[in-house]
This record gives sequence, C-alpha cells and structure tokens, in this order.
Amino acid sequence: MTSQQQDLKTLIPDLRNIPLDRLAELGSSALAQSIALYRERLRENGITLSSFQARILLTQPDPD
Amino acid sequence: MITHHLLPEAAFNALAEGGGDQAAIQLLHHAQLSKHLMLLQAIAGASAGTDRGSAAFRAGFELLARIQATDPGAGAWLLGLPHLGGWAHDCLIRLDQGSPTDLGYFACLAAAAAIRVGVPFELDVPVRHGRIRLPGLGSLLVAAPSAWTGLCCDGEQVTAGDHFAADRRLLAPDDGLAGAPQEWSGTPAIRAVADGLAWNVLLETGDSYLDRYTLPISTGLSPAELQRWRNHLRSAWDVLVRYHRWAAEPMVAGISVIVPLTPHSDTDLVSATTPAAFGAIATSWPPDQVTLAETLVHEFQHVKLCGLLDMVPLLESGGEKVYAPWRQDPRPVGGLLQGVYAHLGIMRFWLAQQHAETGQDDVLRAQASLARWGAAIGPAVRTLQETGCLTQAGLRFVRLLGARAGDEASGAVPDEAREIAGEAALDHWLTWQIRHVATDAAEVADLADAYRRGERFPAGAQPRTWLQEETRKVDSAMRTRLLNMRYLAAARYRELCADGALPLSEPDRLLIARRSGEAVRAYRALIADCADPQPDAWIGLALALHQLPASPLQATFATRLALLFDVHLCLGGRVDPLDLAGWLT
Repeated sequence: MTSQQQDLKTLIPDLRNIPLDRLAELGSSALAQSIALYRERLRENGITLSSFQARILLTQPDPD
Repeated sequence: MITHHLLPEAAFNALAEGGGDQAAIQLLHHAQLSKHLMLLQAIAGASAGTDRGSAAFRAGFELLARIQATDPGAGAWLLGLPHLGGWAHDCLIRLDQGSPTDLGYFACLAAAAAIRVGVPFELDVPVRHGRIRLPGLGSLLVAAPSAWTGLCCDGEQVTAGDHFAADRRLLAPDDGLAGAPQEWSGTPAIRAVADGLAWNVLLETGDSYLDRYTLPISTGLSPAELQRWRNHLRSAWDVLVRYHRWAAEPMVAGISVIVPLTPHSDTDLVSATTPAAFGAIATSWPPDQVTLAETLVHEFQHVKLCGLLDMVPLLESGGEKVYAPWRQDPRPVGGLLQGVYAHLGIMRFWLAQQHAETGQDDVLRAQASLARWGAAIGPAVRTLQETGCLTQAGLRFVRLLGARAGDEASGAVPDEAREIAGEAALDHWLTWQIRHVATDAAEVADLADAYRRGERFPAGAQPRTWLQEETRKVDSAMRTRLLNMRYLAAARYRELCADGALPLSEPDRLLIARRSGEAVRAYRALIADCADPQPDAWIGLALALHQLPASPLQATFATRLALLFDVHLCLGGRVDPLDLAGWLT
C-alpha cells in the first residue's frame, strides 16, 4: 500500500464506527449529501444488472 | 465529523489491472457496509408510519444498534449480506416511486444477525408463504396462517408464535449435517477447501431480494441437485486455487452467495451480477468445472468493478452506444466498461488455463479463448477512450487495464488457435455491422448513381452512419455456431462435419470446409443472381475472402460491409459484389 497522500478519497462516507442510532444526528451533514447523491444515481440509472451473460452450450444441442 | 473511505493508489491500480488482493477486496467490502448504512438511514427517514411494516423496521433498526454495541462483527455480517443490499435498493426505489415497501423484511434481517450470536430480542416479523425468512441463515415454517408472527430469542432459545421453540444454534445454514428441527430449512452452505484455501459460500434459493437476475432463481432443489451443486462448486474451487490463485484468494473475501438460476433452455448458460447485491453471483448450471471456474472469474470481475464504481466515479453520464465484441447489441459506455473489465479477467483465466489443460481439444479451447478475448480488449479500450465519457480516474483505470491486457496478449498463441479465434471474432463484428449499422439513404443513392454512371468512387465520400437496434435481419446462427464450435466444442464440431448432414447452404458448407475460393464464388453468385437482399451471404462472402491471401478488398468488407450492402441493394441487386467492393475500395 502507498502513502496517505496517494489515497483516493471516495464518494462513500465511512460510517462503520458510528453507532446506528447516532446516524440520525448526522442528518444534515455530509451524510445527507452522500445519501442524496446515491439516491439521485439510483433514480437516473435504476438498478440494471452489471452483467448478464448468456451463452449457448455448444456441446449439448444438436444443430438441427 | 465524517471522513470518507479511502482507496490507496496501489489498490486502485491492482483492481484496474484486473486483480486486487484480499486487502483490496476488503476495502470494497468495507465501503459496501457504509453504503448499506447510508441506505438504512435513508429508509429510516421514511419509516415513521404507524403501520406494522414501519414498526417492524424501527424494531429491527433498534435491534441492529444493540447488536453493533454487543458484537460489532455480527453487525458487520448483517451489513455485508447481499440480501440486505438487494432489499435496501428495492426499498429505496419503491419509496421514490411512492410504491408500497416491504419494511418488515428488515426485522427478519436483524433477527437473523441476533440469532446468530445470541442477542436477545422480541420482534414481530412477516410470514411469507408460511415461512419466516432469516436471511443468511434459512427459513422457518410456521403453522399459524397469519401474515405476521412474534419471534423471540432469549439469547439461547428461539420461539416463534406459540408453536415453535428451539436452540438458536440449530437455526443455522445447512452444511449437509443433520440435526436441525424439521420446521427449519437452512440455506445450503458450501465449504470448499483446496490447498489450504477455504471458501465459504451460501447457495441461496429462497430469498426474494436475490431473485433479481431476469431469469428465475432455482427454488426447490432436490437433495441430489443440491449435492451436485456442492460437488461442482468444490471442483471449480480446485481449478481456481490450483491455477488461478490471483482470482481465488480475493474471491474468499468478495463472494459469499451463489444464486442458482433456471435458464429458458437446458442448453443455455446464463450468469449475472447486480450492483445492488455486492458479494452475490448468479449462474445457471454450468456443464463442467472449468466453465464454472471461468464464470466465477468473469462475474467476480463485475462484482469488483461495481464496488469500485460505488467509491470512485469512472464515467460521466451520456455517450453513444458502441460495439462490444462479446455482445450482439450495441452497448452503453458503462456496459462496455463492465464487459472489457470482465474479459480482462477471462483473458487472464485462459492464459493460465492453457497450461493446465492436457487434452488436445481443451488446450485448443483455452488458447483460442485467450486469442479471441486478448485481441478484443485493445480495440474496446480505444473505443472507451474515444467516447469522452471517462472521468480522470476512469481514463487512468482504462489505461492501466489496456496496458495489462497488452502485456498478457503478447504471449504466443499457436497459429491454428489464433486463426479460429480470429474468424469467430470477424463473424461477430460483421454480423453486428449488418444488424445494427444504418446508412444515410440519400448518400447511398448518390453513390449508387455514381457507380451506375461508371464514375470513380467520389474521393473522401463518407456516408453518414448510425446505430439501430435492428437495421437488417440476419439469420446465420448455424454458421456462427459452427465457427464457435470449432474451439468451444471441437469434438462435436468434427462429428458434425464428418457426418455431412449440416443444415447449411452450399456456400456456407464450402466456407466451413475451408474451400475458400469455391465459397467466394458461391456467395458471389448467390448475391449477384438474387434480386432479394442476402445479408447472410454478404457476411459469408466477407468471411470467405478473409480465408484467402491478404487483399485490399478484405479491409473494405471488414469495415464498410453495411455500406456495401446498402449500395448494392440500391442498385437493385444483380451486381457483382466484388466489382462493387473494388469500386468502393
């Protein structure tokens, strides 16, 4: 791993050490912005499958 | 003050190159835990109602807070479940749409986590199809015909309504050992161990929030079918650990659920992932352990990229649809990025697998697969770079991806495998062009007039083209199948060729027999003699020409096939296609 300066700051707030029942206290903060951003992405894109791979198994079927 | 998850540059680079070790996957996983907390907080804001579902959600929320305080690992287990991701995404979308939501499911999720570690609770939970679902553990059959029932745990004993009581430890996933109460149906748990590396995965067949992959989930597996899945996954794990440890090690941290799918036909192999359920891979029954191993590598690539995309935007919205060498339909830029990334993993898989195979046909399959996907990634990366839709991070990601693919592709593949792969790839590209590339009718008419008048091809003429879902109907599925069968099912291919009963046209038969000159003449005659459009024959002619020594016509057919076809059609057919192609060249 590289030094701290080379870390990418991501879109996801780190909530792992915040007790669930205290999340609401952060309601008007960066958390609310992150939630709004994520919901906006969901509204725009929906939840499409990231992959859907369909192949025909060539060993089983008869071609006719 | 809230900080954000950080992603070290080294982890980003490793992921971009198609890899990423367990530590990198843990970073993606940790971000998913926070994402799920974000989603829960958003749902909590809409659960103030007095209805039973809202009350159950709030009780589940309070229980999860207690679990986090008592046993943080159990809280993380729950937040990492793909079941929770699937439910939370559906819930948010339905809230945004103003549709009814299944808030009560969250009480089931929290109850599952509490039962797992013995945190006491008393909740009302929904009953669906006579069962209480405890995601990640299994489901409990309840006698009372009610939509809701009480579920309690005193830390040791679980009771449901007035009818069921059992030690909480018995309400566990089904690892194949007996001893669970008869009302309990544990989610099948599969433990695969190879060379000291263990992978624990659930085979989820009952959760409606993981029944989200277009095709239906395979419910009601018989004990024999379940055992077949156990054996198959363990065999595939052997392959992965022995030859693809770069993929197997991070998979331990990244994949916790397999969802078996029921395909439309027994001859289809379908697999899928969704960004809503990080950690889950859906697949129908694969024919052998190598194919299952390849499928797991393929889908794991998508899981990794979805996790990364949640953290770091690689794409701006918009952009035209483009060609993807593995899909029949034009793809949005995001779809192409997913496909390129998956095929980098596939390429790395076959690069190693070619040395693991011993049978001649299996070696050919590995080498031709390597050649085909290795050659496809470079052009697809350039397409991505030219879309203008990549962010700075996206440009860097794709540059690293392309460089890694270039390094891997530089290894030698025998000529036979390269030629077979090249022909299958060319057939795909030609078919795609005929199917989807539309040309400007007025400009095509001008060119046809110029040809009719015996003029030279107008210098610099570039008729406008665009993509459509189905511009022309192509019906060359059998020829395409045979071209792919040459390396994917070589024994079957030889068998079919030997018995001479292939349901092919005469020109196609000559092409498959590699009687290339005769095939060119036969396609040429078919196109010139027939007044009706012959899109399949144009593709066949292009393929046959490419079997012959190099000529300038090959490039014209490979890159301007739709234009050739349309000008020929505008001329009313009955024109020698090679003469027209020479004029266009």
